[in-house]
Amino acid sequence: MNSEETYDIVIVGGGHNGITAAAYLAKCGLSVCVLEERPEAGGAQENTEPMAGVRIDPAATYLYAAAAPGFEQLELWKYGFRMSWASRIGRIFHEPDTVRRIGSATTDGVVPLDEKDLTGWATLMGVGTQHPFLKELLRAVYWCPPHPVGMEQTEDDIPWVQVLKQKAPEIWSESLREMTLFDLYDEFLGSEAFKVYQATVAWYSGAAPHWQGMAIPSLAGAASLMLGGVSPPRGGMHQYAHAILRCAIAHGAQIRTCCPVEEIIVRNGRAAGVRLADTAAWGEKTIWADKAVLSAVDVKSTFLDLIGPRHMDVSFLQRVKDISLKGGSIYVAHILLREPPRYGPKFAVRGEEPASQMVYPCDHRRILLEHIADVDSRKVTPSLEPGKMLWLSTGSKLDEPTSCTIPGAFLESPFYFMVPAPEYHVDGPEAVNKMKPEIDAAIIRSWSEVAPNVADNVTAYWSNSPYDSELRNTGLIGGNWYATRLCPDQWWGTRPLPELARYRTPIDRLYLCHQTSHPGGLCLMAVPYNLMHILIEDGIAEPGDWWYPSPWYIPEEEKKEAVYR
Amino acid sequence: MPQPIPGIEPLVREFPAETEWDAVVVGAGPNGLIAAAYLAKAGLRVALVERRYEIGGGLATEELLFPGYYSNLHAVYHMMVDYMPVYSDFNLDRHSLIFVKPNAQTAMVFEDGTSLLLTRMLEDTRDSIAKVSLKDAATFGKLMRSWRRIVDEVVAPATYAPPLPPVEMSIAMERTAVGRAVLDITERSPLEIVTDLFENDRVRALILYVSCMWGLDPRESGVGFFVPLLLDRGMNKCYCYGGSHKFAGALAREVVQAGGTVLDNAEVVKILTAGGQVAGVQTSDGLTLKSKVVLSSLDPHSTFLNLVGRQNLPVGLGESVDQWKSDKWSFYTLHVASEERPHYACDDPWVNEAFMTILGFEGTDQLLAHWDSVIAGEVSDGFGGHATCESLFDPHLSRVPGKHVSFFQMHAPYGIAGGWEVRGKQLEEAALAKWQQVAPNLKPESILMSRFETPRDIEMRLPNMRRGGIKHGDYNPLQLGYFRPNPECSSSQTPIQGLYLCGASSYPGGLVTGGPGYVAANKVSEDLGVKKWWTPPAHVQRYMETYLQ
Repeated sequence: MNSEETYDIVIVGGGHNGITAAAYLAKCGLSVCVLEERPEAGGAQENTEPMAGVRIDPAATYLYAAAAPGFEQLELWKYGFRMSWASRIGRIFHEPDTVRRIGSATTDGVVPLDEKDLTGWATLMGVGTQHPFLKELLRAVYWCPPHPVGMEQTEDDIPWVQVLKQKAPEIWSESLREMTLFDLYDEFLGSEAFKVYQATVAWYSGAAPHWQGMAIPSLAGAASLMLGGVSPPRGGMHQYAHAILRCAIAHGAQIRTCCPVEEIIVRNGRAAGVRLADTAAWGEKTIWADKAVLSAVDVKSTFLDLIGPRHMDVSFLQRVKDISLKGGSIYVAHILLREPPRYGPKFAVRGEEPASQMVYPCDHRRILLEHIADVDSRKVTPSLEPGKMLWLSTGSKLDEPTSCTIPGAFLESPFYFMVPAPEYHVDGPEAVNKMKPEIDAAIIRSWSEVAPNVADNVTAYWSNSPYDSELRNTGLIGGNWYATRLCPDQWWGTRPLPELARYRTPIDRLYLCHQTSHPGGLCLMAVPYNLMHILIEDGIAEPGDWWYPSPWYIPEEEKKEAVYR
Repeated sequence: MPQPIPGIEPLVREFPAETEWDAVVVGAGPNGLIAAAYLAKAGLRVALVERRYEIGGGLATEELLFPGYYSNLHAVYHMMVDYMPVYSDFNLDRHSLIFVKPNAQTAMVFEDGTSLLLTRMLEDTRDSIAKVSLKDAATFGKLMRSWRRIVDEVVAPATYAPPLPPVEMSIAMERTAVGRAVLDITERSPLEIVTDLFENDRVRALILYVSCMWGLDPRESGVGFFVPLLLDRGMNKCYCYGGSHKFAGALAREVVQAGGTVLDNAEVVKILTAGGQVAGVQTSDGLTLKSKVVLSSLDPHSTFLNLVGRQNLPVGLGESVDQWKSDKWSFYTLHVASEERPHYACDDPWVNEAFMTILGFEGTDQLLAHWDSVIAGEVSDGFGGHATCESLFDPHLSRVPGKHVSFFQMHAPYGIAGGWEVRGKQLEEAALAKWQQVAPNLKPESILMSRFETPRDIEMRLPNMRRGGIKHGDYNPLQLGYFRPNPECSSSQTPIQGLYLCGASSYPGGLVTGGPGYVAANKVSEDLGVKKWWTPPAHVQRYMETYLQ
């Protein structure tokens, strides 16, 4: 039987951010214990094999984190990290003529890219310019803690503004701070179809194209994908989690699975430890934290369940309840085909390429905006009508040959279709689940418009709705992949709430370490990196020479207690 | 590597293409993990290389019933927890590894609503057998006391000591009464043993099933020592809380904490040799891991013919490998998620607490006929099998509150008449019907999801379970003990200098005993002159002192 234990740091939740924080803090020499409720740590960095030889991605797929300081600081290469470089990385730059020809997919067939699309995209990505800026821009957007709570921020303080001003003055203008992503695309790109294509990719990466002032953060979603080579890690995203976990373990962290936490213990306003659920795979249910408790579960569970009303006032709890989950709840399909999906006559120009890794239909932004309105405004299951049903196929088999080892079979996983968060659906949380057969049929129907051979060649089909995703993975609240909406009300210094933006909480020694904090999801190792700045400020972590802070980080002038009202 | 683009070249540093190690272990199943953990903790620079996206091999707990339900795809009954040195040598508790050993171990239910129950506590088993035969109940009680000694003093500890050649083994066994009992029972077939001892046919059927279910031929002599072992262990099996993969996870954490490296998604495609000496391995993604010591946990065919290459083998070894016989049978498993746990309608409420429930067999004739049909490449209508409701012991497998995860498993041939494409689905319906007959609440409308896995699926997931063979090769007198996998490769070593075997196809065999990995780690340490940080557990020590010196 296990006896009572005390660690420097106890981390609630062994998802991407929990294990990355464990790796950082264990590397600082602190004793760390991670408590994960599922049988496997890694959170949304997960893969599963629901049929022998078929490995699917229920959640994260591509490496967005290529610019993360974590790869260097945690030396993930030592722990086996490898990529499965997609053969088509940067095709738009290497083979502009091919990409121009392949174009964007609309109901009328292919719309080729125009000259402005190609030069505009290169400009936005910093390719061929005197000062490549993409890595710095991404680090400014994601890998810098929000500035101190209450600090007045001007354009001279916002990190990404500094990068653009210095390195890409041709992109920077004052109005950029107010722009939507579509405004930015209208300025730099040419064809409507390509704009819709790229805006949809950004939407599925966490940022809607119509959110005011989010042009650059939204662009960053699509741009990080370029930096990661539009590629998964070798073996899928769970291998990336393995590298992080093994780094943490090698530095002495204890990772305990099947150990759900029921309560964060608060004594005299201070987080003192946690109490495990009765079902936990651990005898002694109380585990004490000497220096800090990190909540690597979402902000709502943290305050509404684990801390609870016995410690928080109703006004604060109300605002926590009101944090918006809109935009990011994805219906995910995994489809096994007897043969690769092949383009129909309308898409003949795409030749023999599999009809995968695409957005359809990209006719006009109205289709995307209507879809968003269904999901966020009307709160209904979006249109399943052919020609209106907007989807994104990622074509993971193209990028990761080990994902499907059945000879002659073609795996499409994941295939995305955005729906409302279950909690918001007008017909109740299970509305989408009840419609599964209809949605699955509609996906096949709509995909068949592009690839007519799909309908007759499906041999297996799985899907996880946001409702399922949330059950499987409680950190994905509302089945939302980015945890909570990434709009200006919930971004940077306002994420998840202004007084929580620096990862501190009203409970002393309780810190937030989940994608509900800035900068959100995508398995970027960003939340723990940003949190490290704060833990160093608070005297909890003392990293060695391997550590470097964000160049745009602004330390607290005088440390204030977090105030909530 | 992709072509770089000025301004957006990839930034991520990856695991180097060429690395050097003191030892490379191929395959991260239980034995590969165990060998790597001992050697890494001994201070060697160890790389453990795994083809799959997840380590563990047969220690697999995965979301087969997607989305929402985890199942144990292979190992679920852990029979050697009481003896495995790895539990005492490592502090696996700290990785939240917990084994649960229910008293109600193995039930057998019959069409007429009667049942038999094997329990951890001897008297409860005797009570159950006494329902049908007072004589058998008395026999069972006496028998298990003497068999417990056979297991405790000889068969279990021998799992963790190197094998002796047969003649030396016989001479050694002659030294003690218990040893002589082992020799005596070895000569008899499981069917003879069970028939001689018990009068009631259902009692015989239950004991025969438990003794032979992992692949003993009931009519073969020379394997009888397995009967006391598998019966005793079949009454002492444990469930790994959170799923069997937790055991693999705990071992992998030990490897990493001791400074070892675990590489997954790295299929070894070549074992490099130079001048009759092993030189390292190469993976399908182009990594070279150089090492003068390589331990392979794969089956002989994979290790020698696929990875070393026939042309690089010493004379005769290729032919020995060709003669390797795969397992007698494989498994067909039907995993289900259901509204309620299966509730068996029978005369003993304790049956519903049982870890394993055998169903579908009314007596020994039917059982033998089933096995005969399986060996002939069929599954007869009179099939039966065993079922376990995992969520009865483990709330972590179902992510959907209140729902249950169970499986029904039966022996099945790798190649089946009619083909698995057709028979797989038919057997699903037949198995569900048979299961529902004894567990009436398992109605079709209460089944939320189901998925069957055929022997071909086993091989697809874990290719060195060739032909779906969970033990990497048959248990028969010529493939056991000193002869496993062949005399050239007895006791972990091979004729290729620096190449060792550490998997289920080497002594003592499969079933998550941890024996092959432990024995190989000992052998490699001795050959390299590495100081062992561990000493054998007391039961192994006593066995070695009594029989091996």
